Parts: sequence; C-alpha cells; structure tokens
Amino acid sequence: MKAKTKKMLAGTFIATAMLAGTATTLVAQEKPVIATVVKISGIPWFDRMNTGVEAFQQANPDVQASQSGPATADSAQQLQIVQDLIAKGVNALAVVPMDPAVLEGAFKRAMERGIVVVTHEADNQMNTQADVEAFDNAEYGAALNERLAECMGKAGKWTTFVGSLGSRTHMQWVGAGEENAKKYADMQLVDPNNESFDDANATYEKAKEVLRKHPDIKGFQTSAGNDVLGVGRAIDEAGLSGKVCLVGTGLPNPSADLLESGAITAIGFWDPQKAGMAMNAVAKLLVEKKELTDGMDLGVEGYNKVSIKKGAGDGVLVIGNGMVLADKSTYKDHMF
Amino acid sequence: MQRTSGQLAMLAAINILLLIVGAAISGGSFLSIFNLQSMASQLPEIGLLAIGVMLAMCAGNGGIDLSGIALANMSGVLSAVIVSSFLSSGENDLAFSLAFIVVALAIGFSGGLINGILIARLNITPILCTLGTQMAFTGLAVVVSGGRAVMVGSPDLLSRIGNDMLLAVPISFLIFIVVAAVIAAALKYTPYGLWLMLMGTNPKAAIYAGFPKNGVLMATYAISGTLSGLAGVIIAARNVNVKFDYGSSYLLIAILIVVMAGVKPEGGYGRVVCVVLSAVALQLMSSLLNFGGLSNFVRDFAWGLLLLTFLAVGRYDVVGFVFPGNRRRVDTGVKPSSTGT
Repeated sequence: MKAKTKKMLAGTFIATAMLAGTATTLVAQEKPVIATVVKISGIPWFDRMNTGVEAFQQANPDVQASQSGPATADSAQQLQIVQDLIAKGVNALAVVPMDPAVLEGAFKRAMERGIVVVTHEADNQMNTQADVEAFDNAEYGAALNERLAECMGKAGKWTTFVGSLGSRTHMQWVGAGEENAKKYADMQLVDPNNESFDDANATYEKAKEVLRKHPDIKGFQTSAGNDVLGVGRAIDEAGLSGKVCLVGTGLPNPSADLLESGAITAIGFWDPQKAGMAMNAVAKLLVEKKELTDGMDLGVEGYNKVSIKKGAGDGVLVIGNGMVLADKSTYKDHMF
Repeated sequence: MQRTSGQLAMLAAINILLLIVGAAISGGSFLSIFNLQSMASQLPEIGLLAIGVMLAMCAGNGGIDLSGIALANMSGVLSAVIVSSFLSSGENDLAFSLAFIVVALAIGFSGGLINGILIARLNITPILCTLGTQMAFTGLAVVVSGGRAVMVGSPDLLSRIGNDMLLAVPISFLIFIVVAAVIAAALKYTPYGLWLMLMGTNPKAAIYAGFPKNGVLMATYAISGTLSGLAGVIIAARNVNVKFDYGSSYLLIAILIVVMAGVKPEGGYGRVVCVVLSAVALQLMSSLLNFGGLSNFVRDFAWGLLLLTFLAVGRYDVVGFVFPGNRRRVDTGVKPSSTGT
C-alpha cells in the first residue's frame, strides 16, 4: 500500500512538474494586458490573426498583447478561457466569439470588473464596448453573390453553404446574397444553407450530394473558410471546373491550386492579420480612455477611415473597409 | 478498501499540487478569492454531467450515458421556449425562474427515463441507446430553437444561481456540492445504492437474487437525466442564453473525469467524492494553463497524461491486489461485463 501510494504520487509529480516547467511564461505585469481570444487555435485563419497580434505587440511595446484560443471548436471551451482571463485580471479582452450569445454573461461580468471588452465578427453582441467589423456584412454577401451571378451568366440553379446555422455572419452573408440574387429572375436558389461546420471533408461530401441531386446546378456561394476547399474539390473531381461557379470566403494560400484549376471562381476575404491589429488598437484606445470617433484612423490598413455606428447593446460598431475579392489573376497579391 | 483510499489520496494530492504550482507561477493570484470563485463557478456544469456518467457506468453491462450534454442543452432550450411562451421574464422574475427550473428538470428527468426504458425494457446496449438519444435530443433542440441561441435573460432567481455568492461561495457550486452529497449518501445508505453496485458487479447473480433490475436501471438513467437538466439550468443561469451545440467537448471530458476518478468501466464500483475531486483537478489544470498563457493543445496533452497515469496505476492495483487471476483489469473502453457464463 505504501509503495503503491508512493508510485502514484511519483506519477503525479512527474505530470505536474512537466506542467510547471512549461508554464513559467507568466511574468510580473506592470503594462496593460490585452488578451486576444479566438474561436479555435491552430487553424490558418487564426494563425494569420496571431501574426497581427504579434505585429501589434512589436509596434506597441507599452502594452502586453497575446493570443489564445480553445483547441476544439466549442463555445463552452472558449467561455472557460475568457472566464479564466477575467479571473487572472487582464485589462482588455479582444474576442472573436464562437457564439456571441454564450459569452454575454461572461462579458457582462468582465465589464463590471472594469475590463475593456472588444469583439470581432459579432455585431449582435450586447455586452461589448466595441465590435470591430472588417466591412459591412450585407455589402460583403451581396458582393460575393454579384461575382457569382456574373460568372453564372445571371441564370441557373445555385445553393449556399454556411459554417453552421448558428453562425450569424455566415447567415447574414448568404441572406444578403439571396437578396442580391432576387435582381435576377432566372437565378433559382435550391437547398440553401447547407451546414459545413468549417470541415473541408464534410463539405466535400455534402457538395457531392448536391451535385448528384442537382446535376444542372450552376453556382455555389460558401461562407466558412474551408468551404471553398471542400466544394472546390468536389467540382474539380466531377470535371466541372469552369462550368460550375464557386464564390466564397477563403484564404489565398490554401485555395491557390483550386483557383488555378478554375474550380474556384473567386474568393472573398478580409485579412485576419489586420483585423487582429485593429481589435487590439481599439482595445488600447479604450484602455487609455480615449474616444472612438467616426472616420478615425486606427493605423491599420483597411481601417484608416472607420465608420462608427451604434451597436446591438451600449457599445459601438467599428466598421472598416477591408473587403478583398480575389480570383485567379489577382490572388497572388495576397499570399497568406 | 485499499484501492479506494489510494485513489482518493492521489486525487487529493494532485489537487493540492496543482494549487501550489498555480500559486507559484502566478505569484499568488491563482489563489485569489476571485479566481477560486471563478473556477468554482465553472465546475458545476461538467461535474453534474460526470456524476451522471458515473452512475450509468456503475450499473454495469457496458453502462454509459453519452446523452448528458445534449440533454442538458435540450432541457435549457425547450424550457426557455415553453416557459417564455406563457410568461415573460421581464414581468414576473420569480415565477419565470421557478417555472424555467421546474420545466428544465422535468425535461431532463423524462429524457433520462426514456434512456432507462430503452435500456432496461428493450435491452438496447447503453452506448448505442444513449448515442441515439443524444442525436435525437440535439436534433429536437435544433428544431425547436431553429438553430439559434434562445434568450433566457437574467431574471432575479436565475441570475442569482448563475452569478451570486453565499458566504463567498458561488451558489451554483453549492448546488453542485449538495447534489453530489445527496447522491453519495443515496449510494451508501439506501437499498438503491447497494442494488446498483451489486448489479454492476454481477448482473446475472443480481437477477437470481431478485433485484428489481429494470427499476434500478430506469432510476439510474432518470437520475442521470435529471442531473443533465440541472446542468442545463446552471448553463442558462450563467450564460443568459442557451443553445443546442453548447459544450460539445463536454461529452468526452465527462467520461475522462469519471475514468480518472477510478470508476470501473465494467461497473460495480465508483465513488462520488472521487468524481468531484477528479472534476476539480481537471478544472484546476485547465485554468492553470490559461493563467500561464499556454496553448490549449497542451491542456489536452496534460489531460491525456494524467489519464494514462491513473490507468496505469489502476491496472497494477487491480492486477496485483484484488484479482491475481487477471480477470478484471481496468480498461479504457467500455466492454460488456466480464461475468461470462
């Protein structure tokens, strides 16, 4: 019994010692701490955002900026991180909510403790001081659809993909897309709002189903970052590159092959790096108790003249003009 | 009972160690009242689900409850939709809160009972049955809510459960501890507890001994379901909103907690106090990593490491001390009871 307990304790010590060894990064902090929390760590989109947070840190040595995020796509995990950061006592939170509704309670408690809360991609967040948007979501959705309509010759069957039905921005984009398509009487929307869960493989399977069900489909408008890859692969394998149009949110680097082959017509995006910098810039302004004014310059490309609107709650919407639409001929200007 | 005290000592040691490490790397702020409260208020959701899984596992015959978080979300969503259709949270805070809690618990209870009936009466393997009901519950929640978050708001009583403290302890944590204590007492002092454990140890013998097998199974899953309903109430109270896909990672974490607590996957043994301590350990560890600003992938790694340590220890323990014949080793997977004919 004694020996066994010793063995157990030894195991415990090893496990915890490893943790302690790796967790010594925390240093005494005098400077204001701005903590960026993203939806998921380790995917290209938020890795790119991390470069923005690092660039912001370089440019602003008077604050301490860092990024973290859950390992799994679960709003509950993100909530835990936010709660722990509040307890740790950061000065500002810059969050890209997985699900704005789930974070409302935590943000309210954070603001009651005097923590600055800035969000991104969550224009319906009630408890935030400022929500940074790269562009007007309706304009973006309409722009994607306009590009799709142009490719489809303004006629034929088309469908839409969203990350999940609960993803507000995605629903706004496809909603604006549908609205835009009403201009063209010959465009017929079929089986809209397929859920992709931002999983390229699942999207691929689903796109194949759609292609089987509607052999005469002409266009896809997709929303989550990996959707263009899944749908593009399905189109490519079916030998329909160039015949079926695909316009959606995507990143240039992963989409390069499919753009070249013609499976993807065009990708729309905003640079998460710039969004990360803009969020941190706004957070810093608010920590310094400075005013956000209409038309101000955040010192970040695409956010040089932001418009300030009233948000869903007491906070404001900070809207930049960071929309980029790229196709085969132009994507090389934005390699990330 | 050597095994029990060993497991308990180890869990307690881990918790103390994590607190010390936390204090060391954060310069004390890890042990600040606010952080302790913050961690305590994060714990109940997953802790309640883990106790439910433990009960199902103790019932033996491959017992497990995979429907926990799905049922919790469904309870919250359905209850919010039903109650707000005839009461508005703005008008009568207390009535709304009470109605919400009662309806959510009732839905949790019924969902659990459905699991119990399917498993006891129709003899469906628990892992398949609860996997099926998990999808059914999630699906129902999606249909009812249209895939959107449902607003519960912060009516007085609910917001107290979610945010307030009693003697500096979060109320949700107190609820969790009281419920855990009640279940621990029920397992120890009532015939139900004895039946559950003996049935898990040897279902065949239990039947010949005249145990009310179906009744025990249905009660077990119904309790597990009610705990899910309670978890749903606490989620709603803390987050102001409920949504069908909240906490999708909780399913595996709940099982991890239970296995770490030394509950036998093949049934017949489990202690609530170990489950509580094991849940606390996981909470401390994940908060510690967030405090240290470490990647959350390290957390998964650390959890896996802990689990393997426990399993290794548990295995030597069982093999060396209890069953020299090597017949009942502790395994990670769920497998049918080893009491073959």
